[in-house]
Amino acid sequence: MPQRMFRSYQGLILLGLCVFFVSKAVNGQLTWYINSRFVPLTIVGIVFLALMAQTIFAENRRSRLHELEHPEHHHDHEHAPSSSALWIMFIPLAIGLLIPARPLDSAAFTTKGFNTSAPLVSSDSSAQIFETESQERNILQWLKLFNYQDDITEFIGQEASVVGFVYFGDELEADQFFVSRFVVSCCAADGFAIAMPVQWEKSKSLEQDAWVVVKGKIESIDLNDTRTPMIVAESVEPADVPAQPYLFP
Amino acid sequence: METTASKRLPRNTILLILIVILVAVASSLMPAGSSTWLWDRLNVFATVFLGIFVEAVPYLLLGTFASGLVEVFIDRDGMSRWVSKRPAAAAISGAFMGMIFPVCECGVVPLTRRLFKKGLPLSAGISFLLAAPVLNPIVILSTASAFGWGQMLLWRFLISLIIAVVVGLVFSVQDDPGEVLLPILSGMEHDHVHAEAGDTVLEKLRKALLITVDEFFDMGRYLIIGSLLAAGLQTFIAQSTLLSIGSGPVLSVLIMLLLAVLLSICSTVDSFVALGFTGAFSFGSVLSFLVFGPMVDIKSTIMYLQVFKRRAVAYIILIPFMISLIAGLVFNYFVK
Repeated sequence: MPQRMFRSYQGLILLGLCVFFVSKAVNGQLTWYINSRFVPLTIVGIVFLALMAQTIFAENRRSRLHELEHPEHHHDHEHAPSSSALWIMFIPLAIGLLIPARPLDSAAFTTKGFNTSAPLVSSDSSAQIFETESQERNILQWLKLFNYQDDITEFIGQEASVVGFVYFGDELEADQFFVSRFVVSCCAADGFAIAMPVQWEKSKSLEQDAWVVVKGKIESIDLNDTRTPMIVAESVEPADVPAQPYLFP
Repeated sequence: METTASKRLPRNTILLILIVILVAVASSLMPAGSSTWLWDRLNVFATVFLGIFVEAVPYLLLGTFASGLVEVFIDRDGMSRWVSKRPAAAAISGAFMGMIFPVCECGVVPLTRRLFKKGLPLSAGISFLLAAPVLNPIVILSTASAFGWGQMLLWRFLISLIIAVVVGLVFSVQDDPGEVLLPILSGMEHDHVHAEAGDTVLEKLRKALLITVDEFFDMGRYLIIGSLLAAGLQTFIAQSTLLSIGSGPVLSVLIMLLLAVLLSICSTVDSFVALGFTGAFSFGSVLSFLVFGPMVDIKSTIMYLQVFKRRAVAYIILIPFMISLIAGLVFNYFVK
């Protein structure tokens, strides 16, 4: 492939990646792939991709002008690196465009598994979770409270309101389901699922992976020999996929 | 050249068309919304793959841009003045170069390759390659925020430093870089872009960006192949089966080492992931995960193969593996 043609393809792929990232940033789906802490870094990446595409197109323009002015210097026969670099770089775009975007959900449980307990990050302070209003606590915070507090009596009966997707686990009764979220520290590759059991008489009417808001009172049950918070639901309402579908540890 | 290039193009094109057809057939067979098994797997695969890719691209761009800057702003004489000729000093200074170039394992490979081109000694380059993804300010902060300023942080950095220096010293025995590096490097294949003495800073930046593009395409494809493999393994191999094998002081370390390779997560955040294992795994096993993961994983191995000869890559993988394993075992048996 002639050098200039290779450069044009490079420029197009860079531009394509740039537009792909911008569109994901605009429609808010960037956080379906990475932790929101890293979004600024992606923005830096977008700027770089745009600059690089611009530089490549400018370089081609220069080389064409140079050839017009000095027809005797014919440089374009030079061979560029192998074309495999081009089509492999196209794969992410193909996957991004052909497979409809969907955040991690219970489909990933078969290989990634899910937990009803959560690790404590050293920068966490349980005081912080205590200060959070009970109705503001998310699934991760409830699990941490139950995992790391010796005395949980004060939490029993507190009002809870959590958002997550529905998962029917084998370990539950017929009128129970799990409300679940993925915890992602970097990107979807390191995501792990956490789940909290919910008792609700109309559990059967729910669909797997449907996003819901669960409101009710906290109770403590033993699940797989560990103390786990369970919500006795007063209401379970359908919800939109949150702007950040994942929780951050 | 001519014939191999023209032979290769159709084969690649056919492969690409096949992949597109396969994906198109797969997506037409399964209407969106219906949760068939294959469709679910495909979705998880796409999300995990794009996760790794979107996360890694900015780091790779920064690494290749650093490489472009090195090419246009640093000359070979400057390099030989800065870096010590004595192997031990070179290996140690290489290991600490990460404090100045904060790159993770995706960005470090193109940068190291460029530094080799500029005449960096083998021992310094290899210890930089292995140490930089851990011994840099960003990773120190992220490890501290996951585990606190304590034992885990201290041992992670000490053992990574030891491994990097040891491997660097092993390679310092080799006088001829041509035995270790691929010919494109030892032969100093000519670049299409050359910095000239009279260039203005702006002109140099333009050239640095052109080099960035070439290296981004060159290294990016291996990043993509590595991410495809990692995402595929994550989609089809259950972590729980791996973890359930892994109890006992020896097996648990081996499982954590395997998991480090499989997960292929960026060193800047792997401590948060490792934290998830502290409940089920001993200190020593998690430590070996944190030491070995940044040095060797699927995508970095594929990238190493573009810089080093196979035998050299074997050393770069096996020595860190042995030392991480021994460190994990020592902690499992003697410390806790």
